[in-house]
Amino acid sequence: MIRTDWRDHDWQLIHTTPQSPTLHMALDDVLTHEVGAGRRAPTLRIWEWASPAVVIGRFQSLRNEVDAEAAQRHGIEVVRRVSGGGAMFIEPGNTITYSIYAPKSLVKDLSFQEAYAFLDEWVLEALAELGIKAWYQPLNDITSEGGKIAGAAQVHRGGAVLHHVTMAYDIDAAKMLDVLRIGREKLSDKGTTSAAKRVDPLRSQTGLPREAVIEHMIATFRRLHGLGDGTLRMDELTQAETLAQSKFGSREWTADVA
Amino acid sequence: MHGEYKMPGGKLVVIDLELHGDRLAKVQLSGDFFLEPDGALDLINRALEGQPAAATEAELARAIAGPLDSDVMMYGISPEAIAVAVRRALHKESAA
Repeated sequence: MIRTDWRDHDWQLIHTTPQSPTLHMALDDVLTHEVGAGRRAPTLRIWEWASPAVVIGRFQSLRNEVDAEAAQRHGIEVVRRVSGGGAMFIEPGNTITYSIYAPKSLVKDLSFQEAYAFLDEWVLEALAELGIKAWYQPLNDITSEGGKIAGAAQVHRGGAVLHHVTMAYDIDAAKMLDVLRIGREKLSDKGTTSAAKRVDPLRSQTGLPREAVIEHMIATFRRLHGLGDGTLRMDELTQAETLAQSKFGSREWTADVA
Repeated sequence: MHGEYKMPGGKLVVIDLELHGDRLAKVQLSGDFFLEPDGALDLINRALEGQPAAATEAELARAIAGPLDSDVMMYGISPEAIAVAVRRALHKESAA
């Protein structure tokens, strides 16, 4: 396998109407597989969330991370994703999430640390154009002078690597701390009084609507790497809907690490 | 019993376990680390099951690494970091 560059690939954009948290989990699984098998061109998918969620990492303990009663009270669904990393608190208008489904050749010979930074170089460029000085903070965070902006996670399947990132556009810190246990522990450890000190969202830093930030990110990717407008194939969507129900919506999967 | 260890330059490594006699039981590794393939999590839990509570960090790390194939990828976690979390889980209980 020879190392490839962004421009060696015919990148496709998927940006659909809002979808459920479990369907997002399943689409990541299916599309990574499709790119790995060579049935789909390398793809950038921008997520639109239909409902709030806590997305925990593949190896996080459900009961250690999430206050189930608080999540239920706020109407927040708890789902587990296929990649490692930490819990994400998602509210539809507050979050910018994207996935990159790339052939492994794009990150060949890179260390994990280099691969994370490499796959998000375009985002740092987009943020710089919006006036935010941001950089990669190993292992898997994008941060700024004001605080953390985003967290990334990768997983490898067949011939593909999935790199997905959740960025804080805005944040309801009180609600987040109500639902995520780890947030509370980190606060008590550090003696700080506000989670907002750890996360500095894009809304306050750019003053732009969420949609404008997303449009700018897409334009930056298109300019740097090339990007055609693609769609989900019907068979991909059907497969993902099945998986969303049978696997990602199941108690067995979500509580796999109790 | 519960132990946590933030690996320097890495992620949070968490161990929950019980003691059956002087042996580790019901060991559950968790955290915000990266581990592939994901089935390696169960291999690690099973490798720790039945280990003596008196085992040193080095002994625990060897027990963890033993059954793992060379193609297992760890990012933000290591056998040594897991061993530290296990010792912390055990230590907290004895100190309590």
